[in-house]
Amino acid sequence: MIENDRNPDSESQFAIPPGLRDDLQALYKPDSAVPPEVDRAILDRAHHRLVNRKRPFRGIRWAASAASVAAAAVVIIVVSLDRPRDAAPPSAARFTAALALPSDIDQNGRVDILDAFKLARNIESTSLPKIEWDINRDGMVNRDDVDYVAFAAVRLNKGV
Amino acid sequence: MKQAIAKIMVTLALFVSVMAQEQDFESPSAAAAVRFEPLRIYLDSGPNNLAAFQFELKAVAGKIKIVGVEGGEHEAFTEPAYYDPAALANDRIIIAAFNTGSDLPTGRTRIATIHLQIIGDIEPEYELHLTVAASEDGNEIPAEISFE
Repeated sequence: MIENDRNPDSESQFAIPPGLRDDLQALYKPDSAVPPEVDRAILDRAHHRLVNRKRPFRGIRWAASAASVAAAAVVIIVVSLDRPRDAAPPSAARFTAALALPSDIDQNGRVDILDAFKLARNIESTSLPKIEWDINRDGMVNRDDVDYVAFAAVRLNKGV
Repeated sequence: MKQAIAKIMVTLALFVSVMAQEQDFESPSAAAAVRFEPLRIYLDSGPNNLAAFQFELKAVAGKIKIVGVEGGEHEAFTEPAYYDPAALANDRIIIAAFNTGSDLPTGRTRIATIHLQIIGDIEPEYELHLTVAASEDGNEIPAEISFE
C-alpha cells in the first residue's frame, strides 16, 4: 500500500472522475458533424479537378522521351553501320590503294604475282633503284611498292 | 500506363529493326546445315624450286563462304599470302605469294589452306586454276595444283 502511494504511475493518482470526463468531451466535441453527402460532393469535385488538370510539362516530357529513344536508335544504327561485317587483313587499306595505278612491271599484258616478284628482286639487287619502281608514287622505292603490285595481282574484279 | 506501353513498343520496334539489319540476308535458316572445313592447296613443281605462285579457287557447286587463309607448310611460304579482302565471305579467291630467298621448296608442297564455311547439305565442288608458278630466277615453270 505504501509502495503504491510512492509510485507516480499509479492509476489511482490520475484517475478522472466520470463527471469531469463527460464535461470535457462535451466541451471539445465538434459543433456539428459533416453530412455524408457534403463529404462525398467534396471528394467528387476534388477527383474531377485532379483528373482533368492540364499538365503543362506533359508534352515536353513525351517529346524528351521520344528524342532520347530516337537518339539511342541513331547511335545504334551508326555503330552497326560503322562496324565492318568481316574482318579484313591489316593490309586492306593498301589493297584499296593498289586499285588505281598500273602494275604490269614485266609489261606482258597482265598483272600477276610475277610482277611483284620481279620488282622485289630488282629492289633487293641494287642500291640505286629506278624512279619507275616507285609504283605507289610515295617518293620511295621499298616493300610497299611490291605489296602494291601484289595486291593488284590478286584483285577479284579483273581478268588475270 | 498507356504512355509507358507506347514507349516500350517504340523502343522494341527500333531495336528489332536494328537487329534485322545486322542479319545477313544470305544467312542460312536454322534448318540449313553449316559446317567449317579446311581446303588444303598443294602445288607440285617437280625438280624446280618454287619461288612464286598464283592461283584462283572458286566454288562451282554448293554454297560456301571463305572465312580465312593460312600460309603454306614450307618456311618460304608460311607468311600469309596476298589475297583480296573482298574474297572473305565470298566463294571465289585469288591467292598469290613469292619468296626471293634461296631456301625454296621443291616437289609437292602445301602452299595454302583455305578455311571454308559450307552452307547446306550439297557437297561443294571447286574449280582450281593455277595462274602462274615461277622459279627463283623469275621464269615460269610447269607445276600441278591440287586440293584435298
